[in-house]
Amino acid sequence: MSGSNTIDRRDFLRVLGISGAAATLAGCGNTAIESGVEKVQSYVQPEDFVVPGVGVYYASTCAQCGSGCGVMGRVREGRILKLEGNTHSVISGGKICALGQAAVQVHYNPDRLTTPLMREGGELKPTTWDKAMATLTARLGGESTLKGAQIAFLTGEVSGHQKALIGNFLDSFNSTHHVVYDALSTATGQAASKAVLGAAQPLLQIDKATLILSFGNDFLGAGVSPVHMAAQYARFRKAPRGTLIQIEPRMTLTGANADRWYALKPGTEGVFALGLAHALLEHGQFAKTVPAPIVAALKEYDKETVSGITGVHADAIPHVAGMLMEHTPSLVLSGPSAEGQVNGAQNAAAILLLNVILGNAGKTLQGQASHPFPQLIASAGSYAALTQLNNSMASGQCQALLIAGSNPIFSAPGFLPFAKSMEKVPFKVALVTQVDETAAQCDLVLPLHSPLEAFGSHVSSYQPRGVEIGIQQPLMEGLYPDTRAFGDIVLDLLRQREPKNYKAFPDYYAYLKLAITKARPVFKSKLSDDDFWEDALRSGVLQLDAAPTALKTNASVVVVSKPEKHVIDVRYPFYFVPSVRADLRDGRHANLPWLQESPDSLTTIVWDSWVEIHPSTAAEMQIREGDILEVQSASGSVRAKAYLFPGLQPDTVSMPLGQGHTAYGRYANGMGVNPFKILNPLFDAQTGELATHATRVVIKKTGEHELMVKDEGATNLQQGRKLVATVAADQAELAKETSHVVE
Amino acid sequence: MSLSNLIKNWSSLRVKRPYQDQYKNADYKWGMVIDLDSCTGCNACTTACYAENNLPVVGKESFSKGQAMHWLRIERYWGEGTELAQFPDHGAQFLPMMCQQCESAPCEVVCPVGATHHTPDGLNSQVYNRCIGSRYCSANCPYKVRYFNWWQYPERAWPNPLEKQLNPDVTVRSKGVMEKCTFCVQRLTAAKNQARTDGRRVADGEVTTACAQACPTSAITFGNMADSQSQVAKIWARQQVELASDKQDKKDEGLRGYRIFEELRTYPSVLYLERVRNSDA
Repeated sequence: MSGSNTIDRRDFLRVLGISGAAATLAGCGNTAIESGVEKVQSYVQPEDFVVPGVGVYYASTCAQCGSGCGVMGRVREGRILKLEGNTHSVISGGKICALGQAAVQVHYNPDRLTTPLMREGGELKPTTWDKAMATLTARLGGESTLKGAQIAFLTGEVSGHQKALIGNFLDSFNSTHHVVYDALSTATGQAASKAVLGAAQPLLQIDKATLILSFGNDFLGAGVSPVHMAAQYARFRKAPRGTLIQIEPRMTLTGANADRWYALKPGTEGVFALGLAHALLEHGQFAKTVPAPIVAALKEYDKETVSGITGVHADAIPHVAGMLMEHTPSLVLSGPSAEGQVNGAQNAAAILLLNVILGNAGKTLQGQASHPFPQLIASAGSYAALTQLNNSMASGQCQALLIAGSNPIFSAPGFLPFAKSMEKVPFKVALVTQVDETAAQCDLVLPLHSPLEAFGSHVSSYQPRGVEIGIQQPLMEGLYPDTRAFGDIVLDLLRQREPKNYKAFPDYYAYLKLAITKARPVFKSKLSDDDFWEDALRSGVLQLDAAPTALKTNASVVVVSKPEKHVIDVRYPFYFVPSVRADLRDGRHANLPWLQESPDSLTTIVWDSWVEIHPSTAAEMQIREGDILEVQSASGSVRAKAYLFPGLQPDTVSMPLGQGHTAYGRYANGMGVNPFKILNPLFDAQTGELATHATRVVIKKTGEHELMVKDEGATNLQQGRKLVATVAADQAELAKETSHVVE
Repeated sequence: MSLSNLIKNWSSLRVKRPYQDQYKNADYKWGMVIDLDSCTGCNACTTACYAENNLPVVGKESFSKGQAMHWLRIERYWGEGTELAQFPDHGAQFLPMMCQQCESAPCEVVCPVGATHHTPDGLNSQVYNRCIGSRYCSANCPYKVRYFNWWQYPERAWPNPLEKQLNPDVTVRSKGVMEKCTFCVQRLTAAKNQARTDGRRVADGEVTTACAQACPTSAITFGNMADSQSQVAKIWARQQVELASDKQDKKDEGLRGYRIFEELRTYPSVLYLERVRNSDA
């Protein structure tokens, strides 16, 4: 740029207002601008990189579930428009799921809370931040005398520096009551995995397996880190193509992708797994893998006995065992339908034992790399933690309760009197982006920034490769003047409680920036602190190479009891399996219209709840699609339309979770019913966790009928049209294909 | 294209069948490949499409009347005959279905006003402000992937501030017009403009559709078939499927590529790869 009639860079910056001085350009240049005759003013004071009409991408981390996927937000004219996967992120690999896409609808939701609410005369009424903070300070500020169990902080899955702040806040009260509740907790499975494999959440090397045998593990749908698992699955399906066998009472999305799908009676997964163990141990090569007492106890698990209990054809056992022997390395997974039982931990242990017998540890199963910041890793939620909190509230011990990211009044089982216990807490504060059933019962409701407006960090409990810390940064300015970031609110309180330690941080941004830059040596970065921080924001992730660790397996913890048939209560002839939709999860996403209108993958139903019933059972009971059924357990009943679903064990009925909201905005309220409320008080014998899949029900016809709103047409069949063509694996030349799956 | 030009060249525009090497010297011919063995039916693509293309959420009642506006939908089938005697033993069958951008599109020939026509880069375009809502195109589409605006969605689908999410690069359609998958033409246009400014052709991988970008299993490949070195062109070639042929003469066995309703001679631009199942399992 040497021509005399061009604006030089310095002036260009001045014109844009970047160099700060808006003074008229002095001088005697050749253009009207240079000579100061004309003045160019910027397009409404643009920020850096804001060019009208041009979308710019900023890195951040998705907060829709606990996976911690790196995302890129497309920002144009100061508005966030769409999220994509961040290719820097090991977890997302540049991909994104439906849930992640819908994060923009959390942000732009028309039912967002935009002002603080305070309970006055029994009703929540809008108030100002000054009043809200004054109330908060009076109760929980420097003068507060609460201590220990008198204060509790209830959250969903939370990680990173937000988790650290919550811990520090509670520390200032000498309280350890950070209660993490996740209605879909996998605590039972994790306990069994810890015992048998030596790791609560081992790394699954799906792409290294040649055969996956999954007992209800929905790793492609509602499991842990589904986007990462999907990428691994895609590689698993490339030449040499791996085989997936799924065994479960109700077909999950993963089951729908299986080469072979088996239906079995809920709760008998462990019996089937021990049947397989028995069949395998008859072959000398595996004999030394398990202690002799177990081998002896397995003698009773012959295929006829196993078939009688599980309802799976007897030939399936030697067949699947044969497949497992032929294909090494394999990978055997347990899932919620096996674990959510009164013998859940036992089931999971029996399933994971197969990995020990088959020698999969170290091949398709490894330990996660050790993490330099274990305090930042998301802690696992559990039902036990919620009952403890419930008892503490009911006894009058808990004097103050803060809630963020958890909605137990909706998602706790109906038999737990959580709402009633909560009434006994004199001061209840909810921090939410949108009022939900639990927030509606609080005394103070504080409006939060959406995750697209706030800083944060995320450390998933499942780290697929090395270590990845996801950095969340605002993708646009706050939509509303009266919402605040979660970190800022907690930090505000901490500053009052411990001014000495926290007065240096004017806001959460400053806290996070210092915390991240202090971690710089761990990441062996040679950059300056500021550059390191900028770099972290730009790439959206902090990564560390770290090798997976070895697993210490222990087969002797597996309990092999006598195989016994279920005793059936004739009053409740059906097993009840609640299913988890990958998009609605425990119901926290039912307020997002894209997800409500997104047809359920297996049934194509939208905006509703339904009762799945096997076509043969429906024929016996003369039930047609759309007939309204009453599903009654010992703990309650719900009514929903029948849907004839072949992917179901015939003695089982299934309902999706997530619907049935009463106070969660226009898109969620009144849609369907809430099956959490009919779960029976049954618990896993070992861990005490809720046995979510153990409830039994009776089905009653109501005589009413309604049209089922769904996407599928009159027929589920292709009727000879070549729509989805299927080819046998041995007929396809996959090895010669151009593979385009990203590593 | 002016109306007089359209009428004058009616026959050349309407009855021309695709022919061999039609796009050989063209800069662009957009095409797609969907691997049904990788597709898990997870709905990431469909939601990405809503986000990218300003698709309205119609609500339960309108959905029940078949008024859903999902340009891209996942169809789910169960196996036939013995396979579904009791259980779907080999899982479900998922089919992502969107406009197949036919080279000889049945919708194009019936439009009374030329609102849908073929672009030089091989897209089946929909000109909203020319559309009069006759819906002939939808009736004539064998894939049922055209969606009609029965309501004034801008007034009801995006209550404030949801409208702030709308993609400024994509028109918000009003009542009475037909719409459908465009292969994210706004992205293609931007990429082509950029390439033209730089004096080059759009490189492979430089632009992709929202569905392909989101897909967690990379089941969807999108690209320029006029570029023989593009990923998408290579897969078509490897699968021995000819764009301009209605009967594929495959020399090799074990190839999975096929087009849906090829026998109708619509010459779709979307190649599907057969779902694979291990029958020994």
